[in-house]
Amino acid sequence: MFLIDRRQMLALAAWSAAATKAFAQAPMNPQEAQLYEAAKREGEITWYTGQYSADASEAAGRAFNERYPGVRCNVVRSTSQVAFQRLSQDFRAGVGQCDVFSSTNGGHYVQLKRQNRLVKFRPVNADGLLPILRQADPDDFFQSSFLGIYLMGHNTRLVSEAEAPKSWTDILDPKWKDKLAVGHPGFSGAIGLWALQMRTMFGPDYLRRLERNKPQVGRSSIDPVTMMNAGERSVGVAVPSASTLFAMSRGNPLKLIYPTEGVIAALSPSAIPTNAPHPNAAKLFQEFQTGPALSAAVRLLFNESIRPDVPPPEGARPLDQVTMLAPTMEQADRGVPEVREQWREIFGV
Amino acid sequence: MPRLTLTGLTKAYGKLTVVDRVDLTLEEGEFVSLLGPSGCGKTTTLRMVAGFVDPTGGTIAVDGSVLSAPGAVVPPERRGMSMIFQSYAIWPNMTVEQNVAFGLELRKLPREEVKRRVGEILEVVQLNKLAHRYPAELSGGQQQRVALARAIVVKPSVLLLDEPLSNLDANLREEMRFEIRRLHDEFRITTVYVTHDQAEAMATSDRIAVMNAGRIEQVDAPHLLYTRPRTRFVAGFVGRTNLLEARVEGGDLLLDGVNLGPAARAGIAHGVTGAVLVSLRPQAMAILAEEPPANDGLLLRATIAERTYLGEAWDYVLKPEGTALTLRAAAPPLEAHDVGAHVWLRIDPRQVAVVE
Amino acid sequence: MSDAALPAAAVRPARFRLLEPVMLLWVALIAALLVLVAAPLIKMLLISFEMQDTGEFTFENYLTAYGRQRYIDALRNSLLLGALSAAISTVIAVPMAWAVSRTDMPGKGFTWAMVLAAFIMPPYLGAIGWILLAGPNSGWINVTWRALTGATDPLVNVYTFTGMAFVIALHSFPLVFIFVKSALDLISSEMEDAANILGGGTWTTMRRVTLPLVWPSILGGFILIFLETIALFGTPAIIGIPARINVVTTQLWQFFEDPVRVEVAAAYAIPLLLITVAMIGVQKLMLSRKGFVSQTGKGGERRQVKLGPWRWVLFGWCLLVGLLAVIKPLTVLLQASFAKAWGRGFSFDNLTLRNYRFLLFEHDVAPQATWNTVWFSAASATMAIVLALLVAYIVIRKLMRFADVLGFIAMAPFVIPGIVMAIGFYAAYAGPPLSLYGSALLIILAFTARFLPIAYANSQAAIRAVHPEMEEAARILGSGRLHAIRRITAPLLKTSLLGGWLVVFIVASRELSAAIFLVGPRTRTMSVLLYDLSEQGNFEVVSAFGGILLFITMVIVGIGMKLVGRDFMLRRE
Repeated sequence: MFLIDRRQMLALAAWSAAATKAFAQAPMNPQEAQLYEAAKREGEITWYTGQYSADASEAAGRAFNERYPGVRCNVVRSTSQVAFQRLSQDFRAGVGQCDVFSSTNGGHYVQLKRQNRLVKFRPVNADGLLPILRQADPDDFFQSSFLGIYLMGHNTRLVSEAEAPKSWTDILDPKWKDKLAVGHPGFSGAIGLWALQMRTMFGPDYLRRLERNKPQVGRSSIDPVTMMNAGERSVGVAVPSASTLFAMSRGNPLKLIYPTEGVIAALSPSAIPTNAPHPNAAKLFQEFQTGPALSAAVRLLFNESIRPDVPPPEGARPLDQVTMLAPTMEQADRGVPEVREQWREIFGV
Repeated sequence: MPRLTLTGLTKAYGKLTVVDRVDLTLEEGEFVSLLGPSGCGKTTTLRMVAGFVDPTGGTIAVDGSVLSAPGAVVPPERRGMSMIFQSYAIWPNMTVEQNVAFGLELRKLPREEVKRRVGEILEVVQLNKLAHRYPAELSGGQQQRVALARAIVVKPSVLLLDEPLSNLDANLREEMRFEIRRLHDEFRITTVYVTHDQAEAMATSDRIAVMNAGRIEQVDAPHLLYTRPRTRFVAGFVGRTNLLEARVEGGDLLLDGVNLGPAARAGIAHGVTGAVLVSLRPQAMAILAEEPPANDGLLLRATIAERTYLGEAWDYVLKPEGTALTLRAAAPPLEAHDVGAHVWLRIDPRQVAVVE
Repeated sequence: MSDAALPAAAVRPARFRLLEPVMLLWVALIAALLVLVAAPLIKMLLISFEMQDTGEFTFENYLTAYGRQRYIDALRNSLLLGALSAAISTVIAVPMAWAVSRTDMPGKGFTWAMVLAAFIMPPYLGAIGWILLAGPNSGWINVTWRALTGATDPLVNVYTFTGMAFVIALHSFPLVFIFVKSALDLISSEMEDAANILGGGTWTTMRRVTLPLVWPSILGGFILIFLETIALFGTPAIIGIPARINVVTTQLWQFFEDPVRVEVAAAYAIPLLLITVAMIGVQKLMLSRKGFVSQTGKGGERRQVKLGPWRWVLFGWCLLVGLLAVIKPLTVLLQASFAKAWGRGFSFDNLTLRNYRFLLFEHDVAPQATWNTVWFSAASATMAIVLALLVAYIVIRKLMRFADVLGFIAMAPFVIPGIVMAIGFYAAYAGPPLSLYGSALLIILAFTARFLPIAYANSQAAIRAVHPEMEEAARILGSGRLHAIRRITAPLLKTSLLGGWLVVFIVASRELSAAIFLVGPRTRTMSVLLYDLSEQGNFEVVSAFGGILLFITMVIVGIGMKLVGRDFMLRRE
């Protein structure tokens, strides 16, 4: 419940705008300044990302462009699996296109690291991240850039709060037949993590039982939010909190459900591939992502801030009050492809 | 009762009248041609008979029952007629046999009957060996025969032919002319035949209706049309002719002051008197190098002005002396005269016809 | 030696003839066609038998590609979907074509406009429109249906096999329409008259004579839509995944997932080519010796069939198709593109220009994708037309032995599913030695190859219309062949070539199936970006971007109509 009236909202907005501007213009650390000079000669950076939503990714790109004039950020936003697929195609074709790779599926990094396809780099700003995000990789081949919270949501017009499912297992009840919507682990990295987590917690039968309720399968984890907005489905499974909050801010009758077992937290890093055509700009972008400017930009679109010095987004439950569930990167590396294949066998697509 | 009766049949497109009050009657088994230059309305008349064009006025009746009157038109498929088109319109995706069987199948005849009748008609048009060919595998003449067979096999009340030979080459055209007449003699189907070719009309028809500017000018047997044209247009359109001014006085025809005598009286319509126009065929004159012994008063002195050799005959242009006239006359190949020669011209008074 | 007696210049020895500039051009053309059409297919065939990394010969890829029930199901689904879509398209289009071509149905101009609009509307946009219309719970049609009848079950459900086939058909039927109508236009009325006078009424004549005469066109249209459907990526991804129907294209997409298995994808795609070949064989067999309208050649006089009250029934049919294919999806898309939240329906306080403003001024990629689309389409249209013109010229003027082979290669992509072409291009040119992956050139080449047949058919018709004597007149006056083409033939062809250019431009600007496998970060086209956006759940922005694409297309069509004539898109060449 957010009992914020209009005036408070305006005040908050004013604060946000001012603060965002302040963060965007915050002085650069020496490493960052040095990288900026080198990056200017390269002129641009291409960012394959499946982490933030399209809107937020665009906003991040714009924030980067404003903070570092002379270096242009090309945002290539897709679902994480597709982003990884493009990166794999690049490697396969021997063409370097991507400077920074951001996926919600941590397994991707384990694999890339194993294949020696990542550049080792630690941005100075990484020290200012939330404690749980500070050391994504002990070898510094990748750095945290995203904290996504995936939970459930419901359309309040179709399902009252009392009726709404409370836990991840509630949705297996046959009464939710034809009422659920979910993304696809073949497209969305977060859904891959979620499916893996469910299998780990509730056994291999979970997906099979879910399938019996005939959920509508979208591609990205955001698709179910749209389905709830439209009233096509009443409960969205494993939806990102950011997109749901954003939809709510636009007047859609949605409400978040924090499952009793906990939310899926995608603690996702970014990395620089070895064939990055603009290595300095890539490193600069890593400084940017770990710095306050990124968090300040994306929180306006209801994404979690990954730094303690930037406040969390409006309307989200503070992170210290929720249980965060997540497979480890190693588990994801092995488990996500497995669960994806299992999903395809069960759901047929 | 006549088989087909057209009464006051008219077709107008806005102010343009293309068929103007046409009256025509065909007896059962009769073969009548509509002959005229292009644009005379003959095809429109035929298509009104078929039912493809709705008349503006007049009626069409078959065996006394009216098929078409303004506001009440029987569609083509219920007229029981058949038609042969300029393009043959045989369907390229069906075999010869399927084309011919089409009309019979629509008449819901038993399969055996259809097979038998198709076989018979293909025999008649000598296509029985080609029954399973597709039209693209046939020659032009064979395609024409398919069209004939398809039209005849349904035993139509009236058979309509729209310039059916115009797409064939000259030799084939002549052959098909006789073929059409032969089929008519065999089946006696009442037939309306549209053509602009007078030789075709003459070879095939019992009677010919000459059309001009939407009207029928004359309906007659072919030889009468030639020897006794009733209008200037018919005289000029059917064969070649000399049109001369003449006078009718006391029942006699006077050409250039010369009385043609009783022999010419047959060519004068009853009651006509005063200045008239006569048609004098080139074949109705003989050219003589010497003055013949017996001058019966129908001789003119003339000078040869031009000559053209046409193979079958000479075509002379002559100027009779003492007049401003120019006459064309035909002569057999051996009767050669030089340009400038003075000759005698003898006119056969029986072949002079007064025209309107 | 008689040669010696003559001046050297008079008799050119054979080896010098070979070096004529026009000969070099021919060689260049053959090379270009090999690069564009033959090489990708051959490479695809080769790698389908290669082991990844080692390149050893193997059948393994085929075993992998067809080793699972799910993969085989996808193939079966695709074939069924293709057949069903093609059948629905035929049912939709044939009565419309007949009505417009041969009857006195009213509203022919309207029908034309609807067919044209359905043709230029990209299928994936139509799919999104139909999700908004026929989603089982939230679709407008179903909401209205429930409100009117109190029913609980939806009236229509887009997320079904038939729903998907129907949506595909609504955007494919113009191909059948164009094919059948132009064939019908060639039938002389006497063909129908002959059936009428023998006792066939309007319906009997249509059924037994008119339609059988255009049977090859109906069959051709059917096959083309079948092939287009099995190669379609957007609609199966947007509708098929929620409907849980896996098809060949979405399955191929999975083979491109990590690890990228082009070899398996190639092996999986090869049977599609065999199916194509088989279909063309069946077509040949069915048509065999029969003659059809195209062979009778000359048009002849045409008369409109009078339908009486039935003309309103037919018009109603055309209206219904227009409503379903164009008016309704376009309305919901436009409404969504101007809405703050499309789920709230139409109201003034829900109106906004924000979605357009966002795309045009705030979005980083949208303007670039728009520009990419325009210039890729323009470049491939130009390349395709130039190439097609030269090939058509050589084939029609018979300047070379085996010229027909050139024509055959130029027409081949017509029957190769677009997605197969894309995989072939990926296999042949994405990696070393050329490493074109992610470059604009790769996409332009692929588009050029994919739409070469359209350009070729267009050029062929155009050149046929120019009598060779016009050139011969120039050559006898001392102009070389190339000079004669440039000065005489090209100006005469200008208008129809412009028409062909525009058609290629339009189909290239909406192409998704081939683009999706070939785009890199800087070469994304509007269609690919639309696809990416469509999974972001933001239908308002997707709709607005679709609106921009349609606007660009409409401007191009408008220019085309102005310069080339009203029906330049729907002429069959």
